[in-house]
Amino acid sequence: MSVTSSPARPAIGKRETATRGRAARAGLVHYGYWWWTLPALALTGAVIYLSTAAGAFYAFTNWTGIGPFNIVGVSNFVKVFETPEFLQPLVNTVLLAVGFVVFTNLIGLAFALALNRTLKTRYLLRTLIFMPVVLSPVAVSFIWKFIFSYDGPLNQILGDIGLGSLRHDWLAVPHLALGCVLVVMVWQSIGFVAVVYLAGLATVPAELEEAAAIDGAGLWRRFQKITLPMIQPSLAIATTLTLIQGLRVFDQVMALTGGGPDNATQTLASEIYQQTFIFQEFGFGAAMALILTLFILAFTIAQLALTRDRT
Amino acid sequence: MTNTKGTRRRRWAAAAVVALAGLTVTACSSSTSGTSASSGSAASEPQTITFTFNDASGTEHYFQNAATAYEKLHPGVTITSEVLPAESYAQAIATRIEGGNAPDIFEAESGSGQTDSIEPFARAGDLLALTDPVLKTELSPASLSQFEYNGTVYAVSLGSAVNGIVYNNALAQAAGVNLTASSTFSDVLSACATAKAKGKSLFGLAGSVPANTGILALEVATSTVYGPDPNWDTQRAAGKVTFAGTPGWTTALNAIVQLYKAGCFQPGAPGAGFDALTNGSARGQLFGFFAPSGAAVDIDAASGGHVHLIALPFPSPSGTTYLSLSSDTSIAASSHTKSPKLVASFLEYLASPAGQKILATGSGYFPVGTTDISALGPVYQPVASMITSQQTRNFPTIDWPNGKVYTDLGNGVEGLLTGQATVQQVLQQMDSDWTTP
Repeated sequence: MSVTSSPARPAIGKRETATRGRAARAGLVHYGYWWWTLPALALTGAVIYLSTAAGAFYAFTNWTGIGPFNIVGVSNFVKVFETPEFLQPLVNTVLLAVGFVVFTNLIGLAFALALNRTLKTRYLLRTLIFMPVVLSPVAVSFIWKFIFSYDGPLNQILGDIGLGSLRHDWLAVPHLALGCVLVVMVWQSIGFVAVVYLAGLATVPAELEEAAAIDGAGLWRRFQKITLPMIQPSLAIATTLTLIQGLRVFDQVMALTGGGPDNATQTLASEIYQQTFIFQEFGFGAAMALILTLFILAFTIAQLALTRDRT
Repeated sequence: MTNTKGTRRRRWAAAAVVALAGLTVTACSSSTSGTSASSGSAASEPQTITFTFNDASGTEHYFQNAATAYEKLHPGVTITSEVLPAESYAQAIATRIEGGNAPDIFEAESGSGQTDSIEPFARAGDLLALTDPVLKTELSPASLSQFEYNGTVYAVSLGSAVNGIVYNNALAQAAGVNLTASSTFSDVLSACATAKAKGKSLFGLAGSVPANTGILALEVATSTVYGPDPNWDTQRAAGKVTFAGTPGWTTALNAIVQLYKAGCFQPGAPGAGFDALTNGSARGQLFGFFAPSGAAVDIDAASGGHVHLIALPFPSPSGTTYLSLSSDTSIAASSHTKSPKLVASFLEYLASPAGQKILATGSGYFPVGTTDISALGPVYQPVASMITSQQTRNFPTIDWPNGKVYTDLGNGVEGLLTGQATVQQVLQQMDSDWTTP
């Protein structure tokens, strides 16, 4: 029976019939044409890849950000590795990124587990925990800057509860200042990570845990053997995103410490900003930005390899 | 046959893309030519421009007053004020200029030694050249060069200010603390102890703001470095001297450490911002801070005339005390403005006697190079004789080759207070960054 002669089907044009026939012969459903993607591809290429390539080009110049420039080869990259001041931002970036991944995920997972099933007020608490995520990082950082200031609420509370010896000039002591930046980063991102883990926990069947409990498995064993393997995809997503976010931290550093005291809290991103826009060494800044990009890429690949689902 | 149809479709698609691209280019070129044509006459220029400046005290209104006066003289013109925080102003304005997003008119620094200094931007063609010959005659020959690049004026001066201790003498005296323009460094240390015993601080310091720690260091170095050798910058540029090798710089930075150890600054000074100065002053917890004298006029105005501050020189830790004067605060305009004639006209108004009167009244600045004591307001009376007898030195950063050296100094002073750096390390870093662009 011919397709076109079937009275049950609507009339189909010759061209469409031919197309369907080819698709059917190829065993595929035909959804569209490749050139439909051209506008999106052109836009992505121009906005992301072309601009990135242009930025990368400046890494090989001595451009100051304004006026003409000369090609200087790889001297900017050599200068990056010959500049001892570059080491401190590198170390700070790694410390903040690792601390951010560890603390955000541990606390976020703990909140997710706590708010998964048992509490009656879990929906309200989930909203409250997620609330900081929607706030501007800069605004949040300025509020925390006030909290950490010498005359601020933190020192006042410490004094009021008899812990006056713990009062510090929090943002002026190098290692404390770095810790303050980490606290603000973690505080604002816990809600986001908790939501990712809650999505993962929703896929864990309650019956499975109940069966394990009946078989005598304790809380930790059930978490270790059932929950954790089943939320592996959420773990991979949450740790990857927090790692990338930690490696490119900028807003909190600029708003809280400005990179101080005496550059002690500079990160790669804030150092790039300083070199590029404040010191007007655009070529040098572009070289640092390229290195940061490769740095993030390498860390992300390594992290994905560590957290990939091996089941 | 199918292949032929596919090829035709691909050709059609390619032609469509090319046509779209062509249309886009045509649209762009039409737009460009339209802008170019419209900029030919002042009447067709946009009559709304943006004026960006910084605000340390929350009361800086003399720029707005000048803009309002200009609007009254030129109906139809709107000047929109954009006030940015003082702590990050230099970085913000430099970023916007480099990003091609500069406001039409903005506050800047003359010379080349700060992040928002005009010379690098003028060199790159980002500043509007001011061609009115009157602008040159209104500046003294000595100060003209810092507003010029290659013989062309690029900014309008606000006048001169004292960089010293902005001091609340009445409050200090009530607490038994006495500091005058003739006080010595030892007197300062004694005054610190007296103030501390009363639960106050002699000085406030925004230790986390390089501009504030930097101005303190330069106030001290005015006497220890530039007093004995006014041409020190020229010698540094020629490579004949270095920061690390000049005893006056070491003395200046050691003096700051000495002040810190003597408790001269408010608790928490190393991590403090500008808010610590304004809050501390408002609560009467500190008697003075380091700033251009315009801050004294701002606070006077903000308090409705209830608080009268004075300007004092920073006493030299060794030898004669010199007063630091700066005439680097200026107003420049973007060369990319869509209203070049309107912008130039407004800047010429600011430089005119009428504009300067409004600015001087609000800012408390005085004419560059003045020897007329009557031109100085009450803020300057303690240092009037130093100004008129020219026992002064210019703010040195105007001649420094880039903004990095001054940032090093500001960051370095914070590092000295937190124990992160030594005096020699700070000075060596400044030498290392003294490179000609």
